[in-house]
Amino acid sequence: MAAGLPRRIIKETQRLMQEPVTGIQAIPDESNARYFHVVVTGPEGSPYEEGVFKLELFLPEEYPMSAPKVRFMTKIYHPNIDKLGRICLDILKDKWSPALQIRTVLLSIQALLSAPNPDDPLANDVAEQWKTNEAKAIDTGYL
Amino acid sequence: MAQGVLVPRNFKLLDELEKGEKGLGDGTISWGLADDADNTLTRWQCTIIGPSKTNFEGRIYNLTVECGEHYPKERPKVRFNTKVRMNCVSDNGEVNSKQLDELKNWQTHSSIKNVLSGIRRAMTLKENKNFQQPNDGTFP
Repeated sequence: MAAGLPRRIIKETQRLMQEPVTGIQAIPDESNARYFHVVVTGPEGSPYEEGVFKLELFLPEEYPMSAPKVRFMTKIYHPNIDKLGRICLDILKDKWSPALQIRTVLLSIQALLSAPNPDDPLANDVAEQWKTNEAKAIDTGYL
Repeated sequence: MAQGVLVPRNFKLLDELEKGEKGLGDGTISWGLADDADNTLTRWQCTIIGPSKTNFEGRIYNLTVECGEHYPKERPKVRFNTKVRMNCVSDNGEVNSKQLDELKNWQTHSSIKNVLSGIRRAMTLKENKNFQQPNDGTFP
């Protein structure tokens, strides 16, 4: 099983386990080393503070030449995350570079929770709310 | 090379969803989530347009496909909502997985699309195409 796993993925996984990022936990699945169960805690000072969000991450066969696939499993009210948990984030799409890593992707997602981008929405209703009445949107975002 | 990489259930289904949203060339089959907020990606609403020169011609068949927790290791459950008469479909609309090649020979890289095109192809087979079809209606 692990025999077929590229060295880069092994290295990244080891580092994630040895030096975890504050507020982010990523654990490889027992039966699939390319599949990670992720837990991100809502950043301080954001509407998601004290929230605990489950995500899943998968490294496709082409990784690192193509981006990891990531999805929120916990429902979240956010202009760049849709009802199915799909995330609109440039580095997961056209801005992906092999120099980025699982760690940087998860940090970017954490940052997206602190700084939503209503000008590049996936959930249009949420983005509209965010632009017209940020206070109310933040209030709705609170769990 | 692909044999070592197993795409987890949810990412495989998201991929299938994306392909379904883009639509497929001739539009004779379609598939999408029954509820667009169902983040478990379990229930799918699908259609098949009856092939020409068969008794299925001119009808749009509505089907529900259920992808369980262990999909794609376990094959999906498929049932017709629109009344139909075919060898592989039971009296309550369920597609019998032993009688449809695409379900019988289901593999982890098979897809909802494969099953739908398999059913549509079965509609053109001699054993099915001349069956007297029931009047419009849905299975109970």
